[in-house]
Amino acid sequence: MATSPTLRLVKDELYGFAKSKVMLVLWVILPLIAIAGYLLLRGNEKIGMDPDSKMSASVFMSLILSSLSGTVAALMVAVDLVSERQRKVFELFIIRPIRREVIIWSKFIAVFLVVTMACILSMALGIAIDTIRGDAFTSAMAYDTLKGMAQLVSVIGLSAAVGVICGVLARSILVAVLLILYGGQNLTIVPMLPTYLGVLPDQFWVFQAISLILILVLTFLASLAFRRSQF
Amino acid sequence: MVAPLLELERVTKAFYGQKVLSEVSFSIQPGEVFGYIGPNGAGKSTTLKILAGLITQFDGTVNIAGANVKTERNAAHALIGFMPQSCGFQNWRTVDSALDTLGDLSGVPADVRARRIPALLERFDLLAARKKKVKELSGGMTQKLGLIQALLHEPKLLVLDEPLEGLDPPSRQMLKDVIRERQRAGTTVLFSSHILSDVEHVADRVGILNRGEVRTTGSIRDLTKSFGLPTEVDVWFSAAPADTGFLRASTNTDVAADDERKPNEWRLTLAAGANADAVIHALVERTLAGGGRLRKIGVAEPALDDLFARYILESDRSAAVGGGSRGN
Repeated sequence: MATSPTLRLVKDELYGFAKSKVMLVLWVILPLIAIAGYLLLRGNEKIGMDPDSKMSASVFMSLILSSLSGTVAALMVAVDLVSERQRKVFELFIIRPIRREVIIWSKFIAVFLVVTMACILSMALGIAIDTIRGDAFTSAMAYDTLKGMAQLVSVIGLSAAVGVICGVLARSILVAVLLILYGGQNLTIVPMLPTYLGVLPDQFWVFQAISLILILVLTFLASLAFRRSQF
Repeated sequence: MVAPLLELERVTKAFYGQKVLSEVSFSIQPGEVFGYIGPNGAGKSTTLKILAGLITQFDGTVNIAGANVKTERNAAHALIGFMPQSCGFQNWRTVDSALDTLGDLSGVPADVRARRIPALLERFDLLAARKKKVKELSGGMTQKLGLIQALLHEPKLLVLDEPLEGLDPPSRQMLKDVIRERQRAGTTVLFSSHILSDVEHVADRVGILNRGEVRTTGSIRDLTKSFGLPTEVDVWFSAAPADTGFLRASTNTDVAADDERKPNEWRLTLAAGANADAVIHALVERTLAGGGRLRKIGVAEPALDDLFARYILESDRSAAVGGGSRGN
């Protein structure tokens, strides 16, 4: 039986991304760098850190991941979209009786999932290091970690959505990268604005809600642009 | 009368104000092989991309088995197998994975894919490359893969954009055989080429596109006639008759021009109105009467590509003075 086109493409894209060199960086090199960074920087007075710092590995990991994962997700999906368009990969999908936007959604979902999985892996590694070092992982820490993770997932989703729209609109990889670095990434600040401006007090849910709305709007716009694209 | 499988009506497309297709109209009957011929930049690929749904913004109507490609996109595209001029595949995909996904997206059930993919790979000598990544394939192999993906769902209409381009002679022959096979199986085939001789022996009808306009459609024979060239007869002797004066234009009123290309090998251009059969009969009689022996005699096959080039040049010239003719 033929499977749903979206499911089939998501499965394929997941497989493709999981085997790509970028994922090697995300799954292996990034956690290694984070661990090395944690071990080297923890309590380093020269860079202004308190020698008696009790910063846990999991907190350090989440700091590194939150600053990197969004950019990685946006760049991954945008570069992939532009490069596949240039190599005329989409043509063989578009000529089939499927909705064009399925291609965009599958890219978004796949990148979102692989980057999220890589982040969960790194966080788990941080928790494991803390446990090995004898730092107890309390329920309060677990709650904070989960909350931080949920926000990180939203950032990854929003960044992937930014990457998707930049990838659909840009005609060259350079333009896509510049659009993301100098324009798109600023969009990821939008969910934090109500908190910064003191408009709404409950920052977690506001952040999550605005992120979700932005993700849906951006991906919808990207799908619309892709549907109107001429190949 | 059978309804056409493909119908284009006044299809017009412009890029940045520049018309690429101008009111292109033609139709193809079910089971027909149609060669879409035109020089580079004539608008062939644009037409085929419109059929395949890659270009959606155009004026005019395109129907495939009654389904409008603009308004009933999925219904129309379920009937098409399209091979673009250059096929791109994701770098990480193997031959098998690429075909399996594309077949799935075309609605081919898994058990059918499991049978059909190896069979098609074998038909195109690609079975050994089944587990290879697509990026490791040569250009010719990738092109064959492009054709296989177009055939996977056994489409009613097979649309091939310059399928013979870049293929070696055995592969070209194989592709022509496949086109004939598909035709016997009831598939309608539309394929483009900028080389008229490519479509000879394969296409039932051809359409000539130049500067975005379909200048004429018809069988190769009809087109040859429409080119308005005189009939030529080849005469080869194994032993020439004593007197070859009857071959000369100066003495034979049926001959407009004579050319002894090599010793004992002549090409005669017949005068307008001369009956080729009658002339050949007379030539045979006079050769034998003169003590000569014939090796070969018959109407010379026109050099299609030369004719086509001349036709395009003439149509360009007439378009330049504003008198281009449009056939259908």
